Amino acid sequence: MSVDHRKAAAAFLADETRADWHDAALWWVRTKRDVMAQSVPEWEALRDTASAIKEHTLSRLDEYLERFERNAIANGIHVHWARDAAEHNAIVHGILARAGARRIVKSKSMLTEECGLNPYLEARGVEVVDTDLGERIVQLRGEAPSHIVMPAIHLRKEEVGETFHEHLDTPAGLANPIALAGAARIHLREKFLAADAALTGANFAIAESGGFVVCTNEGNADLGMAIAPLHIASIGIEKVIPRAADLGVFLRLLARSATGQPVTVYSSHIHGAEPGRAVHVVLVDNGRSTQLGREDFWRSLKCIRCGACMNTCPIYRRSGGHSYGSTIPGPIGSVLTPGIDLERYASLPFASTLCGSCTAVCPVKIDLDAQLYRWRQRVTSAGYGGRKKTVLATAMARVLERPPLFARGGALARRTLRVLPSRARRALSGAWGQSRDLPEMPRQSFREWYRAERGAHGS
Amino acid sequence: MSARESILRAVRDARPAVEALPSAVMRPREVAQSHHELSATFVAAARSAGADVVETGASEIGAVVQAIVADAELGAFICDGVLGVAENGAVWLPLSRLRDRAEAFLADHVVIVLDREAIVADMHEAYARIDPRAEVFGTFMAGPSKTADVEQSLVIGAHGPRRVTVVLRG
Repeated sequence: MSVDHRKAAAAFLADETRADWHDAALWWVRTKRDVMAQSVPEWEALRDTASAIKEHTLSRLDEYLERFERNAIANGIHVHWARDAAEHNAIVHGILARAGARRIVKSKSMLTEECGLNPYLEARGVEVVDTDLGERIVQLRGEAPSHIVMPAIHLRKEEVGETFHEHLDTPAGLANPIALAGAARIHLREKFLAADAALTGANFAIAESGGFVVCTNEGNADLGMAIAPLHIASIGIEKVIPRAADLGVFLRLLARSATGQPVTVYSSHIHGAEPGRAVHVVLVDNGRSTQLGREDFWRSLKCIRCGACMNTCPIYRRSGGHSYGSTIPGPIGSVLTPGIDLERYASLPFASTLCGSCTAVCPVKIDLDAQLYRWRQRVTSAGYGGRKKTVLATAMARVLERPPLFARGGALARRTLRVLPSRARRALSGAWGQSRDLPEMPRQSFREWYRAERGAHGS
Repeated sequence: MSARESILRAVRDARPAVEALPSAVMRPREVAQSHHELSATFVAAARSAGADVVETGASEIGAVVQAIVADAELGAFICDGVLGVAENGAVWLPLSRLRDRAEAFLADHVVIVLDREAIVADMHEAYARIDPRAEVFGTFMAGPSKTADVEQSLVIGAHGPRRVTVVLRG
């Protein structure tokens, strides 16, 4: 079943008030990022360095993965490898089952979302509680997160209030964010204290030291890791960086790009387990090695999951994360996901005006807009672009290649559009014309005017 | 073939041409900041992150900390920071300084004692001085826990400590 982003976006936009509010909320996060970027004089040098570190690492990824594994094992961390989502889920469940763990707390991990871990574990009698507040909200609502950093950005506080009234017994009509966060704190504390295991993702895995870093504002990952005797971290293979010193570059960029903070409240480094506890890492491929082999698209693997591209994208802001039908939405989602299933996600590279704003804010300088354009060419060559586009593009090419035909067509269009009633004009101007006015048609084309002028004054 | 072998082989076959690894050490600032300037920057950044900052001389430290603890309604967790980062108000706290991780993160109020001279300018300098691998756990803590997940309204105090006081000594 193909994802029709346009249709989903139209549904989102039908509620104009909500769309305007969503747009403004995301843009505000973008402006906070700008304040940060402007206050760091070496911002562009940081981006260049981060990009170069990531490109180097990806060019030697197998070596860095082996180095990470060797050092992690030396630190007493168990390392597992999963080719795909199914293997990842089975491995995680296996570790939990062997430990007799049935109540799990999980901090934000888009990778586990990608693998569909929650339903897999729940079907096997394991209770999984997402502890990031935004994730817990959407989990209680049975929804997917709509943004990789702010999972509940699409919800108004009244809606959160309703959800908490239904599931946490808060008073009906309570919509005060402080009170709601307070209710979640009490509710989730019970879960932390009773947890058999903590599942996390990782923002970075350090090859030279065999450890990994988890960044949060809420302290949910740290509480989970500190209390439960078993910690499992699911890490995509592209998260590896060479040295601990590289964290200086990435941690200076990450939170500034994501939320406009100089750093997240907690940047936690794990290099082993305390006595009597265990730490496991599951390294996951799930299509990353395939993307790595794509000359045109491997640079998308530099992504550090900050979400800045989503915050700035005019399409994302005005269509919402759910309209992409993919785990990761927005510009980065639209260059990562088509590689998984080109037909299903054919509409995503077209969910863009190619304005390039995403490329401008990406802390690791992924050429997002160029990759979106290249995916469009792949989609069209494969025949998933839609017949209408192909027919129109072919017709346009024929006219543009023939100047006399172009001139006659232009003259006809100018004369006709001037006299056509507006309803007919709208009908002919496609999706663009539905909310835009066509410009006033001039009496002459430039060429006609030029010839007339030259004729009048001599050449 | 194991999953490990399969993945490594796939990566080896797919990887793009080798790019050089740049230094992660950014060009040092032209003018080295004095301790006074560094701690002023740190104080501003820590406050901006929602922490309280109290500056005190070495001799009064005991009394100051006692007063904060006495004031704390739900108890306080006291620890010594290794270093502070001026650009973001974070303090490096390895496990040895936290003693009990669970207690540190369950506490309502965390009090971090930090030497003024242990403040560095930025994360690059911080990583030049610490060895994250030396202990199984270490964190940079910048202020109290927070969330903006309910309609982008900033709420101080999410799951971790709701209050952080940094006591700057010296």
